[in-house]
Amino acid sequence: MNRYCNQVLALVWKDLAIEIKTKELFSSMFIFAALVILIFIFSADLSVVNAYDVGPGILWVAFVFSGAIGLNRSFMLEKENGCLQGLMLTPADRTAIYFGKLISNLVFLTVMETFILPLFMIFFNVDLLPRLGPLALVIFIGTLGICALGTLLSSLASNLKAREIMLPILLYPLLVPVVIGSVRMTSLLLAGKPLSSMINWLGLIACFDIIYIGVSIMTIDHILEE
Amino acid sequence: MNGENNDDNKPVLLWLTAAAFAAALYAIFFYVPTERTEGVVQRIMYFHIPSAWIAFFAFFIVFLCSILFLWKKEREWDIYAMASAEIGVLFCSLVLVTGPIWAKPIWGTWWVWDARLTSTLILWLIYVAYLMLRIHTDPGSMRARYAAVVGIVGFLDIPIIHFSVLWWRTFHPQPKMISAQGLGAGMAPSMVGALLISLTAFTLLYFLLMGQRINIEKLKDEIDRLKKENLYSH
Repeated sequence: MNRYCNQVLALVWKDLAIEIKTKELFSSMFIFAALVILIFIFSADLSVVNAYDVGPGILWVAFVFSGAIGLNRSFMLEKENGCLQGLMLTPADRTAIYFGKLISNLVFLTVMETFILPLFMIFFNVDLLPRLGPLALVIFIGTLGICALGTLLSSLASNLKAREIMLPILLYPLLVPVVIGSVRMTSLLLAGKPLSSMINWLGLIACFDIIYIGVSIMTIDHILEE
Repeated sequence: MNGENNDDNKPVLLWLTAAAFAAALYAIFFYVPTERTEGVVQRIMYFHIPSAWIAFFAFFIVFLCSILFLWKKEREWDIYAMASAEIGVLFCSLVLVTGPIWAKPIWGTWWVWDARLTSTLILWLIYVAYLMLRIHTDPGSMRARYAAVVGIVGFLDIPIIHFSVLWWRTFHPQPKMISAQGLGAGMAPSMVGALLISLTAFTLLYFLLMGQRINIEKLKDEIDRLKKENLYSH
């Protein structure tokens, strides 16, 4: 078990080290998410509509869109110079590769979201600070769902011809429950409702996370197979 | 061997399906009384519900065959999953076409963001993505494995999508066929009869189409095999 954890951590560290050195992924994800928010601000006139009504949806659209960029990169990076072959030749279990990628994707998305939230607060003039604790939980389980399924599909899409387009096409319809639930919970939180009033949504998204981490553990062997 | 067997079965299934459809059409257009409030447009229900049933059934078969493929790694299961997904998308499209035709006169709009409509649309998108994945991948074991994973992941999402859009909103007429009061309690007996005949006809059609599609795919494999043998052997 200890050895397994070390393998996963080594994989996470490898991805983080690359990212700290290049900062490629973070900058593209952050700028893209900021652009998505900007475009939506132009499409919804904030002097007419209530920022509390449209804000949560726009926030999650930004997360999901720029999340797909990060997820796409995570296995494409390994395809260059045949790094994925190297990873599969290591004595690590295939699920360790999955968990390593899952955690590093989770870290990248969370960092991007942490930087987007203040921007969202300023642009939409929404005060998130009093609800920051519950909001962090909602964002975390939503992001975990995006990463759990996204990492599995990214490992699959990286081997396809039309890889950039296939990941969003496969991922977005499957992510609909997470998006609906997260947007609903975020707008309830902004309306001042306590976390206990949205226990059904929390349960649903937690189920999603658990189901897809489980399915990924069972099927990753069939994807990372040469 | 298998081919001979198929040739014997096909005409029987073909004639059975044709007869069932003739009976269903007669029942829908002549036997069943016109619904009092909704009028003649209500008859589209006899196509809409069986299409929905076949779509869900087909996607369930995709799920089953995907699991069996990953387990046994036999090309057979991959062919079944692919054939079923294609038929499922076809009938899911029919559901999405017949629904708005009914909704326009009854609800006054082509589309509302109701739970059942939304989940059917999402389902359609998932399986269109499944078919696109198959198109974008070269034939072989990789395509079969990837498609099987998406087939499993997609089907497991259905209950979660169902609950999420149900809590989101719902206006669709409550299912009348299978309700808390028992089977067919909310409908006139003649309507239940017509619907059952239509369901039978569509189910037979599903198996007929499956047989045809599987046959085509097997012939394709056979052609590929012959090509390899004759073109690359010398």
